Amino acid sequence: MCQEDDWVNGSQKETDDLSVGANGALKRRSTGVITQGSLTDGVEMKLNPDRSVEDVKAGKFVVIEGFKNEFFSMITDLRLDATNPDILLYPPREGDELLHSVLNGASTYVTVSMRPMLMLEKGERVEGDARPVKTIPSHFSKVVEAEEADVSRVFGSESMDDRFFNMGTPLDMETPVCINLDRFGERSNGIFGKTGTGKSFLTRLVLCGMIRNEKAVNLIFDMHNEYGYQAMKESGSGQGSFVKGLKQLFGNKVALFSLDPESTRKRGAQPDHEVHISYDQVTVEDVIALQDELQLNPTAAESAYLVYAVYKHRWLRQLLSVDGPDIEQFAEDLGANKSSLSALHRKLKRLDHFPFLAERMAGPDAVDAMLDYIDRGIHIVLEFGRQTSMLAYLLVANILSRRIHEKYVEKSEIYFATQRPEDKPRQLMITIEEAHKFLNPATAKQTIFGTIAREMRKYYVSLLVVDQRPSGIDEEVLSQLGTKITALLNDEKDIQAVLTGVSNASGLRSVLASLDSKQQALMFGHAVPMPVVVKTRDYDEAFYKAMGDVGEGERKEKAKRASSAVFGD
Amino acid sequence: MSIVSQDYLGEVVESSTALFTAECRELNGSPAFGSFVMTDTIPVVYGVVFNVSTRSMEPNRRPTAYGKTEEELRMEQPQIFELLRTEFEVAVIGFRDEEGPRRSLPPLPPRIHSFVNACPEADLKALTRNGDFVRAILSQQRLPTDDLIIAATRNAWHARGYDMPYLVGLGKDLSRLVRDDYDRLSSMMRRITE
Repeated sequence: MCQEDDWVNGSQKETDDLSVGANGALKRRSTGVITQGSLTDGVEMKLNPDRSVEDVKAGKFVVIEGFKNEFFSMITDLRLDATNPDILLYPPREGDELLHSVLNGASTYVTVSMRPMLMLEKGERVEGDARPVKTIPSHFSKVVEAEEADVSRVFGSESMDDRFFNMGTPLDMETPVCINLDRFGERSNGIFGKTGTGKSFLTRLVLCGMIRNEKAVNLIFDMHNEYGYQAMKESGSGQGSFVKGLKQLFGNKVALFSLDPESTRKRGAQPDHEVHISYDQVTVEDVIALQDELQLNPTAAESAYLVYAVYKHRWLRQLLSVDGPDIEQFAEDLGANKSSLSALHRKLKRLDHFPFLAERMAGPDAVDAMLDYIDRGIHIVLEFGRQTSMLAYLLVANILSRRIHEKYVEKSEIYFATQRPEDKPRQLMITIEEAHKFLNPATAKQTIFGTIAREMRKYYVSLLVVDQRPSGIDEEVLSQLGTKITALLNDEKDIQAVLTGVSNASGLRSVLASLDSKQQALMFGHAVPMPVVVKTRDYDEAFYKAMGDVGEGERKEKAKRASSAVFGD
Repeated sequence: MSIVSQDYLGEVVESSTALFTAECRELNGSPAFGSFVMTDTIPVVYGVVFNVSTRSMEPNRRPTAYGKTEEELRMEQPQIFELLRTEFEVAVIGFRDEEGPRRSLPPLPPRIHSFVNACPEADLKALTRNGDFVRAILSQQRLPTDDLIIAATRNAWHARGYDMPYLVGLGKDLSRLVRDDYDRLSSMMRRITE
């Protein structure tokens, strides 16, 4: 009956809500009490009548104060309940405030479903691997809103360690949520979201973190020229303006490679390297990977291998050099099926139009140049310029990644043999967009990206998969992704695909579908101790500054000071 | 009995643990239905008036109708008013011990001939801090429960200067006490505020 006294002293209630936590300092506001639940389905709380249901949002981060442990949980669902069905049949008249208030919290109440995601002993911090939740809080455990200290207890903070990188803030809070970049770099990761929900923005954010904290070298296949040099800002403050690219933020830590140097120059940037690919570098596997895009017949592979058997690495050049009527003779010489070979020939002719495909290599090989940069720890953004066709993207990404991967396997094997720290290859993360084109169930087995995703970090290469259609990605690959950062997804199939390999996915499903369409993302997996919804941080001047970028004026000032120090005034 | 306070309301003439009856000091001088009263016994017993009746002192003689106003009758036949008496019945809702008012039945009923007074505001507030007094009323068998709750609640609410949060809190308790009988609850809440 002690609860009954609550309403007598309204003023006293406020102070009761502020509890003193285990460490004696924490004061958190009570939201409700646990009434029922289970380990498998999550727990439910009855919302305090003085809290408005509209202030409680799906995805919000709350703490359940158990007897011994604190359960860090995410709100997954909200439900309006009534003790008596009559109330629902004859709702209080409009304007009957009294009856409304009397019913609120007593006969009509709000049930909030929560999913405990992480369990910590009172006062304990997250160290190493997060412990999964193995029990549930007891009846009437208090549910409180998470405070700043809770967030940094769970997610760490940038000031603690350079492993942590601020990604944004939890819903309705101001404390940064950090991801652990060490753990992020260890495995392949995914960034998902419907088109226009800020995938590129999230990717740029993560890449900034990786570059600034030097956790892995990045190779970015930048299909839409968004990462290297300037990009249009789609949301947040200053919408429609241009934001700085990685090259502008990190200067010579980032090298700009371009398939279309002219386009890059037009946008005001000078590419560090122009990429050309010679016909001889294209293998049969690279062409097979384009099966969907080129609409190759199942027999195409056989025909291509026949050409390869004779001409070896010159196979493509040889095949494309044959013209019209000669193709039949060519097929006959090889002993290949005429119609099949001529179909292959016809379809591969499309490759002839790519300006970056060169007969002979003019300069140094792009892959060698890339590896050279990578060895020096310089990140690479490969711009496609006007070569935005999916075919070009697939072809180039495949060819380059395959060869880089080969070299990495060699390097790793040397390191495994010598075990000398200086032989250890640098961790490499390859960013690919439109990933379902590389990793769909049909091609994931063949393309190099499928191999990288599955082999994981064995050879120090991992993927950052960026995609808007995760259901198109092979399930095996999806389940191997360590950390997933996803913006809003509506399609049930996509949601299901993203949650592949996640235990207790049901609660996250509703959270994922209820994200805002801008600047909100759900992060879960290897690099965060528990799933969390964040309002992503703004990509603005403050962010540039945090990344070590100095403003225009400051830079000039600095240069002036340096020059006067050297040459005198 | 030493000095008799002249402003007492009545005198206990029938007593039990849960209910007692008091005869008014003056004819028609009863406290209002639903008002809070207390005895001057030890322990002090608190209750709510739930029934008021005026009748002949002689059980076998009924007053007859004269067709005259009370004023005319008082002039012409003053003796008939001496033969009438007013009684009120009280449902016990609490008692006082060393620590103050308690919201449960007293260890002993009030003694016969003890005096009944109006309950002071401080005690009334203490007794009506929460819905326990409503529960005491509801647990009695032969009371006009709903109307008594309405009248008593109005008194308690009045003592708090018609404070809305108080009434809302009381309403929540009431809702539980009437077992979520929504129809009954909404009717009672409406009549309390009318």
